[in-house]
Amino acid sequence: MIGRRPPHRIVDVHAHLGPYSLFFIPESDAATMVAVMDRTGTDVTVLAANRAIQQDAHLGNSQSLAAVDAYPDRIAAYAVINPWQEPERELERLAGDDRFVGIKVHPSLHRYPVTGARYAAVWEFAESTGCPVLSHSEHQSPYDAPRLFEAVAERYPGTSVVLGHAGITPAGVDESIAAARRYDSLWLEVCGSQMTGPLIRAMVDEVGSGRVLFGSDFPFIDQRMSLGRVVCAPLTESQRQDVLSGNARKLFRWRPLPGERGVGQ
Amino acid sequence: MSDDVTSGWFDARIVTGAHPASLLPPTDRDAIAAHLDRYALSGALVSAMASWLHDPIGGNAEASAIAHDLADRGVLACWTAVPATSGELDSLTALVDRAVDDGVAAFRIHPASHGFSPALLNDLYAALQTNRLPLCVDAAELSWPDLNTIATRFPELPIVVSNLGYRKLRELWAALVGHTNVFVDLVDFAAHQGVEWLVANDLADRLLFATGLGVRDPGESIVRLAWSGLDDATVRLVGSENARRLLQGVRA
Repeated sequence: MIGRRPPHRIVDVHAHLGPYSLFFIPESDAATMVAVMDRTGTDVTVLAANRAIQQDAHLGNSQSLAAVDAYPDRIAAYAVINPWQEPERELERLAGDDRFVGIKVHPSLHRYPVTGARYAAVWEFAESTGCPVLSHSEHQSPYDAPRLFEAVAERYPGTSVVLGHAGITPAGVDESIAAARRYDSLWLEVCGSQMTGPLIRAMVDEVGSGRVLFGSDFPFIDQRMSLGRVVCAPLTESQRQDVLSGNARKLFRWRPLPGERGVGQ
Repeated sequence: MSDDVTSGWFDARIVTGAHPASLLPPTDRDAIAAHLDRYALSGALVSAMASWLHDPIGGNAEASAIAHDLADRGVLACWTAVPATSGELDSLTALVDRAVDDGVAAFRIHPASHGFSPALLNDLYAALQTNRLPLCVDAAELSWPDLNTIATRFPELPIVVSNLGYRKLRELWAALVGHTNVFVDLVDFAAHQGVEWLVANDLADRLLFATGLGVRDPGESIVRLAWSGLDDATVRLVGSENARRLLQGVRA
């Protein structure tokens, strides 16, 4: 019996906000997201507005900041950098605004490879500041297949890159694990419709519980789907707590998340 | 808010047998019994992976074997049907008769995977309606217009849509408001706040708890319902009472 009260403290490092044209999302607003967080034991969510990834990075980033302003103790923001929409301008905005705690890129949606020159400023900024970068990653994508991040890690070894979805498919997870085993700067995030507890266990076994992060993609997908896989996965409680929140607190050191200063600061 | 309401749920979809392309928990007899224990479930509806991915009619014996073996745990069988085809299946009505004799609680169809038009199963739908056995189908197996056709032609046939994903609420909404005999289970029912949205729109009685053990990670549905925004009474309704009303043989 699982009970109705979540026993863990959670940091969700992969979230969005607002509507998405391809399908209807009920109650995609920040207030509802925080209400869901209250039910699931989520202290903090780091989000990038759907508008920022889908259509307009600048306007969407403003929506993310509005959510932070409404819930400064519960929500932190990624600045979405779209390589086609004045990336330097958004990087300057990120640098000057403490409400942003990281960068989000979506190479598949923006149809531009993570290894391309238009992303160079992102990796350089992240390496020089310690700002973490969350990227969509997708097995066999010409833009963000897990193996492509090995080239980023090789060239920018000081950049912490989170492989969102860890490649999405089971084969993509294997490829992500292989990349993360080669490069300590690569982290794995666990949300995705094909993810399972045994796959998460494989990540922890192969990479160690210290670089596997909980994320949900909510409200793109309900937060409890990804959370259920982690909560019920065959992990030790120590490993589970690392994944659910401990690692996120370690990763976000540049600008610590609400509720706690970054580890080591 | 009571923790007690998270026990006694009926799992309206388990698939027994190996999946060839996923890393999932096992689903043999012992694994299903352990699943029932771990989540304090009152029973389950079990179909066979072999019926989906190998031998549609022959695989039904594997579902029934599990159901008979775990009958005291409230496990029921869900059989799979394909069109009557010489050498494969003589008669859909005879198949349903055999299922009723065997205590089968529902049927599942896979028109897309098994390569046939849903209209070829009209005899099945009629026999199921007569015998008050629900029809279960994955969203990807049946087009929404075909679902609409079946639900309209057989208005007393309960149709349970499964594996909805997170992108189909617009279609689901039309199906639910258009047909009182359409239901949806929680297997990969992944839309943000989708459960709460249906309940807020007075559709709580159309939701069935199910994990999809065998094709999905069961933790998804367990946590989805347990930590939902539903009140305790509605959790109980979705967790077990709707299944009890819909499926013959579900224990109180």
